[in-house]
Amino acid sequence: MGNSNPSSGKPITIRDVSKIYESKNGDLVEALTPVNMEIAAGEFVVIVGPSGCGKSTLLYMLAGFSKPTDGKISVGADLITGPDIDRGMVFQSYALFPWLSVAGNVEFGLERKGVPKTERRAIALQYLQTVGLQDFVDKQVSELSGGMKQRVAIARAFATEPSIIFMDEPFGALDALTRRFLQKELLRIWQAHKKTVVFITHSVPEAIFLGDRIIVMTARPGNIKSEIRVDLPHPRDTTSDGFRNYERRIYADLDDELVKAFDLEGRAAGA
Amino acid sequence: MKRIAFGLRGVVPLLLAATAIVIVWQMVVVITRAEPSLLPAPWSVAKTFAHLVGTGELLIDTGVSLARVVSAWLLSAIVAIPLGLAMGRSRALERIVDPVIELFRPISPLAWIPLAILWFGIGETGKVFIVIIGTFFPILLATVAGVKSIDSVLVHAGQVLGCNTPASLFRKVILPASLPSIVVGLRISFGTGWAAIIAAELVAARSGLGYLISNGMEILRADQVLVGMIMIGVLGVCFDAFFRYLNRRVIWST
Repeated sequence: MGNSNPSSGKPITIRDVSKIYESKNGDLVEALTPVNMEIAAGEFVVIVGPSGCGKSTLLYMLAGFSKPTDGKISVGADLITGPDIDRGMVFQSYALFPWLSVAGNVEFGLERKGVPKTERRAIALQYLQTVGLQDFVDKQVSELSGGMKQRVAIARAFATEPSIIFMDEPFGALDALTRRFLQKELLRIWQAHKKTVVFITHSVPEAIFLGDRIIVMTARPGNIKSEIRVDLPHPRDTTSDGFRNYERRIYADLDDELVKAFDLEGRAAGA
Repeated sequence: MKRIAFGLRGVVPLLLAATAIVIVWQMVVVITRAEPSLLPAPWSVAKTFAHLVGTGELLIDTGVSLARVVSAWLLSAIVAIPLGLAMGRSRALERIVDPVIELFRPISPLAWIPLAILWFGIGETGKVFIVIIGTFFPILLATVAGVKSIDSVLVHAGQVLGCNTPASLFRKVILPASLPSIVVGLRISFGTGWAAIIAAELVAARSGLGYLISNGMEILRADQVLVGMIMIGVLGVCFDAFFRYLNRRVIWST
């Protein structure tokens, strides 16, 4: 449990993964051209890219919700064939179960893992304490603010001790201050538990603040534009020169792609 | 205390409305000098009400009608809820079943009464059949709508939290997520079932509130007809209040 016995993260291997899907009017859309990527065990990888670049498509394939048109994704030695409790996820819209209490949400996965009731409760309490919500254990989800809901979702994702956690723009719907606070919380929890994290965001400062490595995606069809290793010690000072340099580099890469993305949208609207 | 006060707030407007209706009714009786066998005064209906309660007739007829509605409504629910859950999840099943429903749904349960009499006579089966027709579609449609409105992100959350079989996903996510909508369907269908049973009893029955009313018509006792009508209204309001309570207290809401 928790700090005492951290189950470490697992590496992810993405081999020639592409995704072509059929749009509503029957056209084939190439969302992702063959992507190759290695993510190390316990690494915090952030993926940034323009809207519609296929980063969510990639994440949903990593989580096992959809299958690649071609290529292979494996975790450790195992090929991903579907969603699994060993790979947790935090969603932008929180995805808490509104019919369960705060503790009930955190206990959900533990129950599915067959953890006995009293133990479940204790683990849920421990993780809710980690995100500072120990006084909201029996509250209903509808009574919480957006930031609190996402803290519950983070507690829920970590409580089952998965080896990997996927985060799909988890702080995208939150105000700037709550966002800043939760970024720090997340780093603290990640450092304590050493899970592999794949994090998607639109925010370049967020990517630099959190990531060991940042992957910039191209406009559709999505591929890897560049990979940037962030060599700044935590906690990272967002106003430092080093931080600003990373920002400049990533924005420069993104700007090319944004032009292409808007151009693509314009043509789609014109046609 | 708070909850009692809340309950009173709901009852007071109903009592005021009832009082207003009785006043208007009395005025009509006085002004038009209505024939008592056609439009009796409120007071004489109240006396008939008390008399029918005293003889036990009213309670028996109410009980009979209620038993028919509840049994048929439960039978509908047992079939409609699982079918609705399956239809909500399976595009293929929905494509097959939906046109059938679309064809049957506009046919009022009342239009089935003649066939029900031909097929089942005037026994209990025919009436239960009519109420099943009247309750099945509202439950089914509400269930399908409930399942289809589930945010796919909740299903994904269930999957990454260990619901790795369709059965566990149904039990832990799909069913609880669609429950509020299902309860709405149960509430609406109880209302339609309650209306259908009265109609069925009006046409062919030897017991029940509908029979009490049609019998009152045959023996020219408008007071008895009105007692039956009042009972239908009061019980309808009570059931609705009960389901609303259930929805608020037992079922989650966002």
